[in-house]
Amino acid sequence: MKLIAGVDIGNSTTEVCIGEIGGDGKMRFLSSSSVMTTGMKGTVANTAGVIHALDAAMGKINRPVSEISLIRINEAAPVIGDTAMETITETIITESSMIGHNPSTPAGAGQAAGTIIYIGHLPEGKPGIPYIVTASSLSAYDEVADVINRYAKKLDIAGLILQADEAVLVENRLEHKIPIVDEVKSINSIPEWKMAAIEVALPGQSVRMLSNPYGIATLLKLDADETKAATPIAKSLIGKRSAVVIRTPHGNVKENVLPAGELYVKSDQVYPVNIDSGADRIMEVLGQAGEVIDISGQPDTNIGNMLINIKNGMGNLMGEESGEIRITDILAVDTLAPVQISGSLAGESCMEKAVGVAAMVKTKHLPMEKIADELKRRLHIYVKVAGVEAVMAALGALTTPGTRLPLAMLDLGGGSTDAAVIDSDGRVKTTHKAGAGELVSMIIQTELGLSSRHTAEQIKKYPLAKVESLFHMRLENGAMHFFENAIEPKYFGNVVLLHPEEMVIIDEDIPLEKIAAVRKDAKRKVFVRNALRALTEIAPGHNLRNIPNVVLVGGSAEDFEVPEMLMEELANYKIVCGRGNIRASEGPRNAVATGLVLSYTGGQQ
Amino acid sequence: MEINEQLIEQIAKIVLEQINGKPEPAAASTCTCGGQPGKCNGSCAGKKSPAVKTSYEGYAPAKKGTDPKEVVVGVGPAFQKEIRNTINGLNLDDVIGNIKAGIEEEGMVPRVVKVLKTSDVCFMGLEAAKISGSGIGIGLQSKGTAVIHQKDLYPLSNLELFPQAPLMTLETYRAIGKNAAKYVKGEKVSPIEGQNDPMVRAKYQVKAALMHIKETEQVDVSRPIIEWTEA
Repeated sequence: MKLIAGVDIGNSTTEVCIGEIGGDGKMRFLSSSSVMTTGMKGTVANTAGVIHALDAAMGKINRPVSEISLIRINEAAPVIGDTAMETITETIITESSMIGHNPSTPAGAGQAAGTIIYIGHLPEGKPGIPYIVTASSLSAYDEVADVINRYAKKLDIAGLILQADEAVLVENRLEHKIPIVDEVKSINSIPEWKMAAIEVALPGQSVRMLSNPYGIATLLKLDADETKAATPIAKSLIGKRSAVVIRTPHGNVKENVLPAGELYVKSDQVYPVNIDSGADRIMEVLGQAGEVIDISGQPDTNIGNMLINIKNGMGNLMGEESGEIRITDILAVDTLAPVQISGSLAGESCMEKAVGVAAMVKTKHLPMEKIADELKRRLHIYVKVAGVEAVMAALGALTTPGTRLPLAMLDLGGGSTDAAVIDSDGRVKTTHKAGAGELVSMIIQTELGLSSRHTAEQIKKYPLAKVESLFHMRLENGAMHFFENAIEPKYFGNVVLLHPEEMVIIDEDIPLEKIAAVRKDAKRKVFVRNALRALTEIAPGHNLRNIPNVVLVGGSAEDFEVPEMLMEELANYKIVCGRGNIRASEGPRNAVATGLVLSYTGGQQ
Repeated sequence: MEINEQLIEQIAKIVLEQINGKPEPAAASTCTCGGQPGKCNGSCAGKKSPAVKTSYEGYAPAKKGTDPKEVVVGVGPAFQKEIRNTINGLNLDDVIGNIKAGIEEEGMVPRVVKVLKTSDVCFMGLEAAKISGSGIGIGLQSKGTAVIHQKDLYPLSNLELFPQAPLMTLETYRAIGKNAAKYVKGEKVSPIEGQNDPMVRAKYQVKAALMHIKETEQVDVSRPIIEWTEA
């Protein structure tokens, strides 16, 4: 009779598994527990969490911690991941030549062209010339409607641009309906006496005339060369509800490519790759390079600064000089970030190209021995640092019912994706890849333009619903869900996250469909790509088909859709893949701790 | 000290003079009758006769609307009659105008009714919501307190309450109208920016009480809710 405790100190949780070795030498699992990790993984501060977890596990079987005869802790993988994001394009509107935004309530669908005139200057207007009138918020809606109604008898008023959100109010009071664009914040920057074209889309549609270069040419009477020059304007108006294009001598929309810089992948030689060429190319070069020694960026460029920041951050954490920190793997992802356009009149934003990078840093070995000594001193129990984390996880994964050798384990964590494969002879191969849950959160945050990372984390974790009344909500899959009792009014009309305890309101006004699409896309970009990358590296003969089973473990394996995504993808290679169920009871958690206990009996035999 | 009739008469005279200068505070502090006959405890008798009640005879009782785009604003009994400005001096014509404009800008249809059966803002809002074609209503007291209500909610649970009338501006009222319309459309409402001032309660308590009494004096349960086209 001997009690063995396996302890796994992870980035976010510390997990314990208690096993008992009977007189016949057979192992029985008694209990397990999971608590928050105290302090940074691999530091002495972890001991408090470990003791707490041991207390919890032993408490479940009503036995004191002192009965444990051996504690085995994992040799944590000395890798830490970090993420960074940088936009690589910027859009600038020159000479206030364009307004294209989505006011919630423009009015009067259609398009028109005419000369810009301020409402106060209407007495100077000449009959026979079409005009587009601008009015600041100093003029109230009834005054504006009054003036337009009066002058419409004498002048040809074709369209109206308002600063205040009053388009519908004005339109309801007009005798003669014209397209009206409202919510243009910097209305005073609109150049007067210039030719302009205005368009308001029908409900549920986006502008058609002004998002088409020939449409702009028709309305503003442009020649072939000018039409070519207007193409960027047309492109930037795609998908807008209302638009104004103003003909100014040099006005245009420019997309600048920021000097994002080059990435240097150092292995047997240095492979340079430009960030502008996109994530696919970067990953291709990384694949060619083979065993990577270090990755750095061109100094004084976006990517260079990004990687230096990551190295400095890691250095501070580990107490090492940043020069000693080496990035051994990165995962680059193409993404889009909403950025406010400079020179815009109505606060428009544009989806700029951005590159997200997760980098993984190899450090010196984490001081697990120190943790072991500290535990020994405090508990007076023999503590042994045993086994490499990934190997232990693979061992634990093997306790999932329905698995057999050779077996691959994918540990989907927060900072890195780890994989291990055990072949039929019991030999283990492991790998660590940069990029996991945290990169997904960052992509979600960037693409949706969220102000807080916490919201992005929650979007990642829980399915969505739209509360349509106080009594029902529409779920992400289109199903309707009715409430027993009226829900709190604060949820009314909001997109919510279905947290098991309480629905979480998303403060930003983003349609449910868009959030769901971004979330799924981010998970696919990171997890599917990394799973294939990691498994190919460790598969016998680098051929995925040589792996019959893949067991998913780790925090992100508990995700509500990632395992399904991986299953679908790996089914193409005839691989059985699914969420692990450690010891047929723990789900994807506790793999390492279980492996540590198991490896003890294995070591004895 | 000897108390004689002469002295009492003198004191009464001074008090009366003061009251005639500021008749309302005295009435509020001593009598809770609110001008309703039969409830007077007598302490205000002789100081001020009960307020004259406006008769709404001939006004059409408000009907339940059928337009699903309708937002009904229920105003208080003294609205635009006995009280013409909110507690911080905003003209009630402008206030109701901005609420209606907010509703209209969002493409919905405003209708104003006067709730005579109560002077409580939440009940006013609920009454308005119940006869609104969309089920969304706004309650608006003459002193400026507002609430957005939904017909299926309990009176004191509501969609949005704007309790600090002294800090309201015309922009806030416009935003209230817009938000009410957005509830009809099932859209996400934008939080209304408001000020908060912990001293407001102390500063305006007496005025609020007086205005509320003035409003309550006009409560007429026999004519619970009427169409209000004067707004």
